[in-house]
Amino acid sequence: MSAPSVPGVRRQGRGDRSAPLFAGPVVLLAGLFLVLPMGLALVFSLTEIAPLSGEVGWVGLANFATMAADPTFFRSLLNTALFALVTVPGSMAIGLALALLMNSVLPARPLFRTVVYLPLVISGVAVGLIGSLLFNETSGVLRALALALGLPVVPWQSSGPAAFASVVLITLWVRVGFCMIIYLAALQAVPPELHEAAQVEGASGWQRFHHVTLPLLGPATFFLLIMSVIYSFNVFDTVFVLTGGGPGSATEVLGTYAYDTAFGPARDQGYGAAIGVVVFVLTMVFTLVQWRRSRAARDGAL
Amino acid sequence: MVATVPTRGLTVVDARARTARAPGRPGRRRVGWTLRVVAAVLVAVVMVFPLWVMLVTAFSSGSAYSQTLRLWPSEPTLDNFTRVFAAWPVGSWFANSVAVAGVTTVLSVTVSLTGGFAFAKLRWAGRTPVFLLLLATMMIPAQAILVPQFRLVSSLGLVGTFWAVILPGAAATFGIFLARQFLMAIPTELVEAARVDGASTPRVFWSIVLPLCRPLIAVLTLLALMYQWNDFLWPLVVLRDPALFTLPIGLQFLQGQYLTDHGALMAMTLLATAPLVVLFLVFQRYFVQGLATTGLR
Amino acid sequence: MIDRRSLLLGGAGLGAAALGGCAGFTGQGGGEASRGQTTLTFVNWSGDAEKAASDALISRFEEANPDIRVETQTVPYADISTNIDSRFQAGDPPDLFRVSYIDIGLYTSQGVLLDLSETIGARAGEFVPGLYEAVVVDQVPYGVPHQIDTTAVLYRTDAFEAAGITDVPTGLEQAWSWAELAEVAERLKGVTGADQYPFVYNWQAAGAYRWLSWLFQAGGRLLTRGLDAAAVASDEGRRAVEFTQRFFTEEWVARNTSTQATTYASDEFVAGTAAMAFVGDFSLPTIDTGADFEYGVLPMPRDVEAASDLGGNAVVAAADGPNTGAAARFCAFIAEEEQMRRYCEATGQLPTLTALTETELAFEVRPDLMPTFVEQATTLTAEQVRQVTVPAFGRINALLGEELEQAFLGGRDAAATVDALAAAVDGALG
Repeated sequence: MSAPSVPGVRRQGRGDRSAPLFAGPVVLLAGLFLVLPMGLALVFSLTEIAPLSGEVGWVGLANFATMAADPTFFRSLLNTALFALVTVPGSMAIGLALALLMNSVLPARPLFRTVVYLPLVISGVAVGLIGSLLFNETSGVLRALALALGLPVVPWQSSGPAAFASVVLITLWVRVGFCMIIYLAALQAVPPELHEAAQVEGASGWQRFHHVTLPLLGPATFFLLIMSVIYSFNVFDTVFVLTGGGPGSATEVLGTYAYDTAFGPARDQGYGAAIGVVVFVLTMVFTLVQWRRSRAARDGAL
Repeated sequence: MVATVPTRGLTVVDARARTARAPGRPGRRRVGWTLRVVAAVLVAVVMVFPLWVMLVTAFSSGSAYSQTLRLWPSEPTLDNFTRVFAAWPVGSWFANSVAVAGVTTVLSVTVSLTGGFAFAKLRWAGRTPVFLLLLATMMIPAQAILVPQFRLVSSLGLVGTFWAVILPGAAATFGIFLARQFLMAIPTELVEAARVDGASTPRVFWSIVLPLCRPLIAVLTLLALMYQWNDFLWPLVVLRDPALFTLPIGLQFLQGQYLTDHGALMAMTLLATAPLVVLFLVFQRYFVQGLATTGLR
Repeated sequence: MIDRRSLLLGGAGLGAAALGGCAGFTGQGGGEASRGQTTLTFVNWSGDAEKAASDALISRFEEANPDIRVETQTVPYADISTNIDSRFQAGDPPDLFRVSYIDIGLYTSQGVLLDLSETIGARAGEFVPGLYEAVVVDQVPYGVPHQIDTTAVLYRTDAFEAAGITDVPTGLEQAWSWAELAEVAERLKGVTGADQYPFVYNWQAAGAYRWLSWLFQAGGRLLTRGLDAAAVASDEGRRAVEFTQRFFTEEWVARNTSTQATTYASDEFVAGTAAMAFVGDFSLPTIDTGADFEYGVLPMPRDVEAASDLGGNAVVAAADGPNTGAAARFCAFIAEEEQMRRYCEATGQLPTLTALTETELAFEVRPDLMPTFVEQATTLTAEQVRQVTVPAFGRINALLGEELEQAFLGGRDAAATVDALAAAVDGALG
């Protein structure tokens, strides 16, 4: 993560006088609307905020104590973890498979690729609505399809596991395209000579994949892992629109729970801020651990 | 995170088609080829299916409460569009989205370019720590800062105006990272040469650096547009007047009004999605590069 | 392809167009008021029929008060309190807003609403007492009790014919007992296919409080007489949970129509997925537009008591604002007998003025079905109204939905459910 030393524009020793002019706007915007709120979030997580007046009262660690005894919070935490555990490896594995497919000899390759990453540009709300069209239990397309094909009808909305599956499926639909793009770029960076050399030595297709291609995909895998986990911890739009966290709290995730707590009927913004802080800490810890692991792996290899 | 991005600078992903032939007996090769084509077609069908049924539902009449499978609009109609347009200010939402996404994009691209230049090519005290701090903000989840950001924007008197969406939207830092990466690849000698000729830093930026940034500007613009056009959670919190809604919150609003009237909802989903899809199909190359480089969304 | 100049020009042009064309940059929503005119912001939610009636009401008001304009902002029912709260928090509350009786307690208890003693308070005696109490705290009225709605049962005549159900109650006197409802449901299950359930109940989408009808029918209470603690952990409470649980275990209702579902009972009925629907009178205009089958109405079943739910809404004004005088005039106007009558007739809702409850209204949609709803409304008691208008009720309603869903879909037994409910309610009461 360290920025490599760039040979900059030299100007008598102390630095460029117009640097503030150039760096100022972005630093100011990010400082005011990202860094400052993050700091304030830590403060507000220790307070109680009155719903209408917005008056702030100090409550110490009370919000975190509530959290420790809140079954819905733990359910959301568990759901978020489960969501990440399924969608992250799932989208990466499918993405890799598609990348290998699209990197092979195939007619109309650009068309197939476009189709796979098209869902990426669709907003989370639209994806949620399309999901509702598919998964609605009484008037959905999948129900009609199941009936037409004589398959059993799945209770996508009223059964917790099925609703969770619907969220996972629609997420995979969106995310595999992203994973494919990254892996495709990495595959195309694998020098063909390496494969040819391996072939000369009599390596089979699988051996070549396992010993030549896979190791070179390491950086892409690491990048996807970080990005996908951050995405999973943040997931909101699609769940909010598709299931609203239900049935019960079967699909409640940290994102929807934090929003509902702060801006829903509970009107508890202090507690909402506390949940947000936990999400931030989890994201940060995960990223740092992964980063250190990947650095250790790299250093070990050198 | 930065060091591990697999694509270098702005290499075009699609640029190189692999033509290396797999060796082996011709018969096996043909079987493999057929299997791959079948797999690709199956994948394409699964990926397109949700979009196809959206399209069909949007143009089907009386699909509001339909329970039968419809894979082709029997009597194509614009009824779904007209009745939603008649009831709700969808046109305004569209205009609002254009305005908000447009202004945010201009702002975001501008500050990313200047900032990227400052971080890549200028020397100043604190450059590295400030850059690392900016990078770390990419990891701040939107819902973590929802409450303080709302209070901040509210104390600035911006709640209920587009600025409440635009200013925090333009603060998204992915652009800075992309711009710095790109600008670092520009040879420093070019900049030095201009300096020897006595050009000031703003002059160097304007006449030497910026003209080289066209692909970067394209990528930044498309990414910012996509990000802002689709943004939901934050506008949901700060935009209160239905006349000022952007499309995603308008869509969610319609979900509350139409519930399982899929025809109406899909018509509006299509409307909200189409501009980006068209933009994507036209500028696919840049989209793919941008996505590959930043990993956003 | 994209050069600096065209980008800058494009950006500037776009910015200028947006700045010139959109009020969003200044926060002044849409309307343009001429000089000397006051513009009131009125935030509400509404279905199609309500919107039309509300627009008509407003134009009559503007005609009578040329110096005032009322600008309506319609938001979804599910988002109304989020919307209103954040405006209050930002220090910019709307001049007027619509609030349901179940949510009104929060606002009246926080002192953020305009005191309407001089207009509405002066006419206190003209309202149905129980409904007037809903807007009053410490003798001060904080809103107009604008209309109420209540639930009765719509049924498909084709399904009833197929099941051979001929003994259809027409008045409260003949209302089914719970056992009779169960019997009807079983008979309907025999004739309806996999696509149609015997009935659907309207406790979705913030409607969990409508479960209380069963509790009240069983003779139970949600809160103690002092309104300071839960009283639901009782035999009556368990009985009500057990009976409503059977809706799901015996498949009388579809599993995706539980309290937390994102569907509406009226929609399911129109879609043909239920033979009977427990729905509010306000749904009639929507149902009548959508339904392509014949349907009739019958009263809510009864147990120890007859009971239905108090739905209904008040129109209130914010205490702090530059236009409170004009807002008070609007409140007074919509409470006029003539205005309330026309609004209710157009929307299929019930009035709150005694003068109107005692006369027969000329409802525009299915006037033949409305008398059953009107009669059903007489089962609302002041004591029940008090329980559902406490300040914490909005929160209680949300918790009720969560806890009931665990009984309905999660299989939690009735005793554990009422205990959990009582604990949740006590927690919300603070």
